Amino acid sequence: MEICDLNVWYGGNHVLKNINLKIPKNVIFAIMGPSGCGKSTLLRAMNRLLELNPTAKVSGQVMVDGINIYSDKIDVTWVRRQFGMVFQIPNPFPHLSIYDNVAIGPKLNGLTKSKSELDQLVRWALEKAYLWDEVKDDLRRPAAALSGGQQQRLCIARAIALKPRIILMDEPTANLDPVAAMKIEELMLELKEDYTIVIVTHNPQQAARVSDYVAFLYLGELVEVGETSQVFTRPINKLTEKYVVGRIG
Amino acid sequence: MSFRKIKERIMLGLIAILALLSAVPIFAIIFSVYFEGMKHVSLSFLIDLPPPPIGDKAGGIGPALAGSLILIALALAIGGTIGFFTGLFLSEFSHTKLAQQTQMILQIMVEFPTIIVGLFAYTVLVLPLKRFNALAGAFALAIVIIPYIALNVKEAYKSISFTLKEAAFSLGLSAPTAYLRVLLGAAKSGVLTALLIGMAKAAGETAPLLFTILGSTFTYFAGLDQPIHAIPLLIYNFALSPYERWHQVAWGASAVLLTIILTIFLVSRMIIRGART
Repeated sequence: MEICDLNVWYGGNHVLKNINLKIPKNVIFAIMGPSGCGKSTLLRAMNRLLELNPTAKVSGQVMVDGINIYSDKIDVTWVRRQFGMVFQIPNPFPHLSIYDNVAIGPKLNGLTKSKSELDQLVRWALEKAYLWDEVKDDLRRPAAALSGGQQQRLCIARAIALKPRIILMDEPTANLDPVAAMKIEELMLELKEDYTIVIVTHNPQQAARVSDYVAFLYLGELVEVGETSQVFTRPINKLTEKYVVGRIG
Repeated sequence: MSFRKIKERIMLGLIAILALLSAVPIFAIIFSVYFEGMKHVSLSFLIDLPPPPIGDKAGGIGPALAGSLILIALALAIGGTIGFFTGLFLSEFSHTKLAQQTQMILQIMVEFPTIIVGLFAYTVLVLPLKRFNALAGAFALAIVIIPYIALNVKEAYKSISFTLKEAAFSLGLSAPTAYLRVLLGAAKSGVLTALLIGMAKAAGETAPLLFTILGSTFTYFAGLDQPIHAIPLLIYNFALSPYERWHQVAWGASAVLLTIILTIFLVSRMIIRGART
């Protein structure tokens, strides 16, 4: 995935300024920065979920496998299916069962032909998300009955059930306890084998633990991007250095 | 006890008495309607034709009850559909000028005298057909209930958290699929309540029916283009009549109507309470 000259405005407010990024395949790519720097906006510009906000305006290109997803010829629902998305607050559909939360995406998008195929897909996604063993006996239970960490893994299962190319995660552990958060981080490392993962985090330690590449965003501008080991040990920019040692944030 | 404390006690007592007083009319109405009405209500009362005004034949409100149910169903089919989509539009496009203006118009419509709605239905559906008819009544009731349903559906969809909307759209669904097949479930209790409020409104309205359905007192439903009867209209006509026998039927009909409305009200309360827990 490649982002070229991306600019985003909310009304008259210029929130992302000339972002250029290249994200390699099968890596975990972290976007870090203090609150309000535009990280979540950048993530939502990647799958055009930003368009739910009527005041948002975007210019520039986002290329996925050579296709500009902002081209007029591209259908926005197709774009969103290329990405699985996991949010800051675990947000399973509370009125649906565990099974239906995972099944609803593939079902409504017509990805499976039969009930048994759908069952298999649901099981596969739940296994991938390390949730199957905990829920296999009561898939019909409402999703709201699960714990926060389980709900977030259910959301990961819901995202990968669409067989996306890229998984976007918006501070997926911010609302979880440390044990549940660690499980999600382990899961991310596992998923990297099959997917490209872009994770937004306001926590530099998390970026250092899980990511292969990291971008530092500050006040809507891309300050530095590079391999995680390099950015954390030999940052080029003074601002990045201050951030990773905890002097801004 | 200090004088200040005594003064405070007296004021609180007065407020409590006034609060209780405001609840008296509703209980007085319910009590008097059931007291006068229930002694006439039986199964045959719900099915039979009204009695002749003179004599001691029991009779019932069959045509009016059937007519009311048909009118409610039709009004809900028309007004519910339009009101639902209007409410969805108001919720999801609230930033547009059109939505803001629509919302203002609906708020005016809520306050609109319903007799004028009846007159309007008379000019567009009764005059051209040269006959009072069921469709005109349903049309008038639909117009009356649309703002109630739309404004409540709007609130139902507005109450869905933004992150849940993001989740639905992140699955790559088109807007109609996301709103109707995923998010409707999350707004279910609010939408159902909106429809029930519309139903109760349609069940109880008299004014929009005066110019539209005529009231076929002694015949059951005969077609959408034919006159039809309704309970509120029967109460109005019979209560104004000089016949004691018809007064009794009007009391019985009032009890039936009140039961319908209270049932709808209780069901909607239960749905709201169920959604909260």
